[in-house]
Amino acid sequence: QAATEPSSTGDKQVVLLPCKTAPSRQRVRLWLEARKQYEALQKGIRRAE
Amino acid sequence: MTTLTRQDLNFGQVVADILCEFLEVAIHLILYVREVYPSGIFQKRKKYNVPVQMSCHPELNQYIQDTLHCIKPLIEKNDAEKVVVVIMDKEHHPVERFVFEISQPPLLSISSDTLLSHVEQLLRAFILKISVCDAVLNNNPPECSFTVLVHTRNSAMRNMEKVQVIKDFPWIVADEQEVHMQEPRLIPLKTLTSDIVKMQLYVEERAQKM
Repeated sequence: QAATEPSSTGDKQVVLLPCKTAPSRQRVRLWLEARKQYEALQKGIRRAE
Repeated sequence: MTTLTRQDLNFGQVVADILCEFLEVAIHLILYVREVYPSGIFQKRKKYNVPVQMSCHPELNQYIQDTLHCIKPLIEKNDAEKVVVVIMDKEHHPVERFVFEISQPPLLSISSDTLLSHVEQLLRAFILKISVCDAVLNNNPPECSFTVLVHTRNSAMRNMEKVQVIKDFPWIVADEQEVHMQEPRLIPLKTLTSDIVKMQLYVEERAQKM
């Protein structure tokens, strides 16, 4: 692990990262496609009205 | 002219607010410029009086906000030495690391009316550098992801504990492979020296990305 050398006070440097991961590119791509479809549908409904 | 110390109430909070707001804009822009996510999720906004690209994906935005919320108490206490945006390939090996080295002077002589506009001007220069950094970096492999690392001290970790629980956003100590890159190419982007903060931004780029 990335805990490194102790300082003079014995306080170690540490490197932290979140346990949770950011949304994947694939997940974001699917969301974007769904949003585009939704917007197209809304446009179609408005035109029909 | 007012002289303030880091112990003055709210001073650390002000600096942390400014830096976290800046880091949020910078992270969005890095993800856009380095094509970590499809460009369709980004919208043009104006920050620091310059156009930037910000994501409109709710989950991603929340993730970035939660990350910075947890880092903020460290910045407030001057305990965050580095904040690093790491871009990783499909195998979760780092290909690029955007390193924000942060330090705050212990004693300040600031004039509050000029402070904010001056800092804004300096942060704008960082944003402009990030916007054009793709010109000096090689293309990344497809399907990259990202994470944010924070370099701090063991004793400072407790400053994060409360907010981790509130936000349900726990942090762990990073593995060696997440922190280090073999023989990286170093690209300095920008250095900022102001009354309230010193910050340096550089990119470490893996020699063989593909």
